[in-house]
Amino acid sequence: MSEPDEELELQALQRQLDDAFETTRPRTGFEDELWSRMQSSRPARSRLRDALSGFLQGIREVPAVPAGVVAVLLVVVIGVGTVALSGLGRGGGGASSSTQGANLSAPDAGQLYAGNFGRVPTPVLNNGSKSSTSAQPTTVPVQLTWTGKFDLAISTAPVFRYKEPSTNEADQFASALGAVLRTRPDGFLGSYQASDYTLKVRGTVQSPPSSPAYFIFSSLSMPPVEAAGATPQDLADIFLAQHSLQPQWSYTVVVDSSSDPVKVRYQRQFQAPGYGAAYLVDVNGERYGLEVDLSANRPVLASGLLPVSSDEADYKIVSSDDAIHAALAFSAPAQSAPATPLPTVQLDQAELVYVLVPAGNHSFYEPAYMFSGKLQINGQTYVKRILVPAIDPSQRTP
Amino acid sequence: MLADRPPFEDLYREYLGRIYAYVRAQVGGSADAEDITAQVFMNAYQAYARFETRNTTPAAWLFRIARNATLDHFRAQGRRDRLRRTIERQPVSEEDPAHQAEERIQYRALMTQVAQLPERQREAISLRHSGLRFDEVGGLLGCSEDAAKMLYHRALKALREVAQKEGV
Repeated sequence: MSEPDEELELQALQRQLDDAFETTRPRTGFEDELWSRMQSSRPARSRLRDALSGFLQGIREVPAVPAGVVAVLLVVVIGVGTVALSGLGRGGGGASSSTQGANLSAPDAGQLYAGNFGRVPTPVLNNGSKSSTSAQPTTVPVQLTWTGKFDLAISTAPVFRYKEPSTNEADQFASALGAVLRTRPDGFLGSYQASDYTLKVRGTVQSPPSSPAYFIFSSLSMPPVEAAGATPQDLADIFLAQHSLQPQWSYTVVVDSSSDPVKVRYQRQFQAPGYGAAYLVDVNGERYGLEVDLSANRPVLASGLLPVSSDEADYKIVSSDDAIHAALAFSAPAQSAPATPLPTVQLDQAELVYVLVPAGNHSFYEPAYMFSGKLQINGQTYVKRILVPAIDPSQRTP
Repeated sequence: MLADRPPFEDLYREYLGRIYAYVRAQVGGSADAEDITAQVFMNAYQAYARFETRNTTPAAWLFRIARNATLDHFRAQGRRDRLRRTIERQPVSEEDPAHQAEERIQYRALMTQVAQLPERQREAISLRHSGLRFDEVGGLLGCSEDAAKMLYHRALKALREVAQKEGV
C-alpha cells in the first residue's frame, strides 16, 4: 500500500474512532440513575445543605397542636405600604401632615439605609383589597382596637432573597429523590416519575404568592409506613427521612386529625436576631412549610417548600407602635348613624412573621407584622388577622 | 467552593459520556463499563473538594481517576479469572436485544477492537479520542507529549491491522 493511501486509511480510521467515541454512550437512564446514587451516597444533611445554605437555621421542634378550634376570619392588609408609617391610623383618620412628611423623606432615607438588596418590593395582595376571600365574612366591616402588648426590641430584621429555581434545579431535586423526568407541564418546572409516586415541582407563583414547591402524589404501590405505636407525626417523620426530605429549617409541627387524611404540617420559621423565630405565613396569615397527608399509615401526599439557596440582608423595620397604628387604620370608616353597630375586634396578639414577595427572577421573604383578635358573628368565633409590612417604607419600592 | 471550580454536576453532565466511552473501549463490555464509570464518578464526587484547577484540567483529573478505576477492574478481574477456573461458571444472562442493537450502531465492533490492543496503545487511542490533548495523554501515561503522539500513531496502525484482519 502506498504511503498516501495508508495515510488516507488512517485518517478514515481516526474519523471512525471519533464517531465511535462520540456515539458510545451509556444506556438511556444511566446518567440519572448514577446521579441519584451519588446524591444518595451523601449524608442527607450535607446534600440539602448545599441547596439550603442560606436557609439553615437549625431545627426546633415544638409539639404545637392548637388548643382550640375556631373558625378563621381573615382580614389581610398586606400591600398598603404607605400606611405602615404614614400615620393613617393615628387618630383613626386619613392622611395627616406626618404622613406627607414621612413620604417626602422616603427616597433619601431609602438610598441611605436600604439593605444589600436595595429597595425591596412591597408585599401586595393579589386583589388589592383588605380581605382575603369573599366567600367568608371577611368583608364585614369592623372596628379595630388594640388591647395587647407588643414591644418590639429590634429595629432591623433580615430579608431573605432567593433566585427563581430553574428546570435544571428541579431536575436535580427530582434526581436526588430517584425520580425521572417525564414531562414539563404548564405551570410546573417538571413532572417526574418514581417507582411508587409522581413528583411535580413548581416555581414561584406570582399571584396569589406561593413559594417554590414540590408535590409528591403517591401511587397505589406506595407502601404504608410500618412502625408500631407510631403517631401521625412519627409516620410523617419516617416517610420524610426515607426520602431525605426532612425540613432543614426551623419549624413547629401541627397535626390535624379532624378528617381523613390526617395532615401533619411542618410550619416553617425564620430566625430574626433579637426576636426569635418568626413563622412563614401566606397572604391569609396561614403558616406553611411542608405537609404530609396520611391515610391510615400510608402517605398519600407530601407537599413542601422546594429547597432553594438564598442570601439575606438586614433591613430597617418600623417600630411596633407604628405597626399598631397601621393595623388600626384598617378599621371601617366611622358612620354617622349606623343602622346596626359595627362589630368590634379587639386585636390583642401581634407577632413578627415572614411573607413571600414574588419579584421575577429573584423573590423575597420579607418580615411583616401580623395582628390578630377574636370576633363573634352569629355565635361563631372567628379570628381576624391583619398583616402589615414591617420593612420601613423608605426601604421598599412603592 | 472556589470561583474557578465549576459545580460538580457540570463536570458530570459534560464528561459522563466521554468517560463511559473511554472505559468501554478499555473493558469491551457495556455492563463492566457502567460499573466502572459509576465508580469513577463516585470517587470523583467524594474527591472534588480537594481538586485543584491550577494543577490540572478537570478532563485530565477525571480521566486519571477513570484510568485508575479501569486498572483496578483489570486487577480484580485477574483474580476473578483465576477463581473461575476452579468453579463452575454461572450462566451469563442474555443482554437486552434492544441494548445490543444500540451497541451495534454505536461502533461496537470498533470499540471491541480497541479493547483488544495492548494496554498502552489502547489507552493512547482511548484518551486521545475522548478529547484529551496529547500533552494530557502523555501526562496520564507518564511520558512526553511527543512520545504520546508516537504511541498514538503506532496504536492507530495496529488498530488498522486488527480491523483489516477481522474484515471491518
